Amino acid sequence: MNSTAILERVGSRKPAFASTRVEPIIATSNLRKVYRVGKVEVPALRGVDLVVQEGEFVAIIGPSGCGKSTLLHVLGGLTQPTSGKVLVDGNDFSSMTDADRTKFRRHKIGFVFQRFNLLPTLTARHNIQLAQHIQGNGFNPHRFQSVVEMLGIQEKLNHKPYALSGGEQQRVAIARAVICEPKLLLADEPTGNLDTENSQIVLNMMRALNRTFRQTILMITHNPEAAAVADRIVRMRDGRVVSD
Amino acid sequence: MVNRMIMENLLHRPIRTAVSVLAVAIEVGMVMLVVGLTQGLVHDTARRVEGVGAEILVQPPSASFLFGLSQAPMPIKIGDRLAELPRVAGVAPTLFVFNSVKTLAVIYGIDLQSFNRVSGGFVYHEGGPFGGPYDILVDDIYAKANHVRLGQNLNLVNHEFRVAGIVEHGKGSRLFIPLSTAEDLQGVQDKASIFWVKCTDPGYIEDVTDAIHRLLPKYQVTSIKEYMTMMTSNNLPGLEYFNTAMIGIAVVLGFLVIFLSMYTTITERTREIGILKSLGASKGYIIAAILREAWLLTIVGVLAGYGGAEIARKAILAAFPTLTIELTVEWRLYAAALALAGSLLGAFYPALRAAQLDPVDALAYE
Repeated sequence: MNSTAILERVGSRKPAFASTRVEPIIATSNLRKVYRVGKVEVPALRGVDLVVQEGEFVAIIGPSGCGKSTLLHVLGGLTQPTSGKVLVDGNDFSSMTDADRTKFRRHKIGFVFQRFNLLPTLTARHNIQLAQHIQGNGFNPHRFQSVVEMLGIQEKLNHKPYALSGGEQQRVAIARAVICEPKLLLADEPTGNLDTENSQIVLNMMRALNRTFRQTILMITHNPEAAAVADRIVRMRDGRVVSD
Repeated sequence: MVNRMIMENLLHRPIRTAVSVLAVAIEVGMVMLVVGLTQGLVHDTARRVEGVGAEILVQPPSASFLFGLSQAPMPIKIGDRLAELPRVAGVAPTLFVFNSVKTLAVIYGIDLQSFNRVSGGFVYHEGGPFGGPYDILVDDIYAKANHVRLGQNLNLVNHEFRVAGIVEHGKGSRLFIPLSTAEDLQGVQDKASIFWVKCTDPGYIEDVTDAIHRLLPKYQVTSIKEYMTMMTSNNLPGLEYFNTAMIGIAVVLGFLVIFLSMYTTITERTREIGILKSLGASKGYIIAAILREAWLLTIVGVLAGYGGAEIARKAILAAFPTLTIELTVEWRLYAAALALAGSLLGAFYPALRAAQLDPVDALAYE
């Protein structure tokens, strides 16, 4: 079933932040995003059609400026599309308010960034706990323990980001992203700032997350070796998906 | 968790935290000291007037309740007529002499005998009553503040006075000279600026006041109770405006520093705000976190302001013992409320701006 057909089937449904096991977790149709720089319109996405099933590990690759990061931001609810449809876990982002998208993001989406984006004043432990605090469901010690053990950061929990290596920071960032059990993990060039060894460690951990917890992962990268870890590779160019 | 984040942010930028706390402390300390000083001066003057022991004050029609401004003497023979009224135990005339040489002071020119009758008499720490026309009595606080010793000469109103006695404070003025000398200095004869009237019993104050009104219909007759209620900084010309202006400056200072502090914080932490937004932090969460940070700074600043005001009070009183500074609980609370309100206002715009940041732009901020 293509994305348009899926959207036609589920598009009339009311957003409910509910799990949609039978539906894809991501479905976009003719998704467009245009940025305005002064009086100039810069099209970043020019009609993206994409379907991702729950539990998939998808890599999106393409050259710089092809719209990968913009797609990630739209799928994460950080910015609204200019036109087109985007359903994430059955919720239509194109018709949701900023507050609704924020609430959805809080409960359903985890982000991993190229620059780690840990709060520099907090320890690794508190960076991870902050995500739980913002979600508002309280501290879950079992989940916390299993995540930090899996990512191998037990010994680093009381360190602040400046005292951690790049690989350790990225593992803390992954822990923060998955601590609240998001439906979707969005990774923006997660190995972009890491050396080969740490890149491999981070990619292996993402692979393990996907396999162990059936975590849906959408990772953008310009590195074909990193993309090879994924189940599926989507190529983008000039704001469009050119191969899937 | 938010409190930990706030604490870590404050500790991470110690200079800005210290400057913000200092600004709030100055704001709070300034409000407390300015109000404390004006209220202290007014209340101290009122208490000393009450300490004379009279129950009724009689002044000329155009006189002010501020004695230093009362330069309209009355014939002293009025005192004899007042003394003849029923239920009057004593009447003491006083002629005010305003000194502006080296120090500002209202000197009481008194008839010692009648003044003692009304006030119950001076308590002498050293020396004794006037022995000559240019003898002066000073109170113990004035003597201590100005290092005045018994027998030394004081230059007041461009005249040399010999200190004949050092008396317990609290009987109107801090300086007393003979009434006849005061008349000479003012160039008047048999005149008084005020009559202190003591009743045979405090229960007769109203009756005696009515009787004086009938006797001297145009004169100002004020019971000491009424006088005490008039002696507030709100009733003193210009003082209320001065207080309001000083408090306003202090509040604006606190507001601006908190505003700038939080504004620069938001600019510096743009990326961190983007991170919070990517984690799903709502606008309310971000606004609350920033306001809480401002409030924490303010609370520490308020406490530092309380301490600073106490230290400043002790330092001022050590240098100027004749001053009185009243740091009241009421004004501690007002100062804290003003500081908290100012910081809330100062932090609100930066907080709102932070909440409205675009998460994508914020995450890309270098």
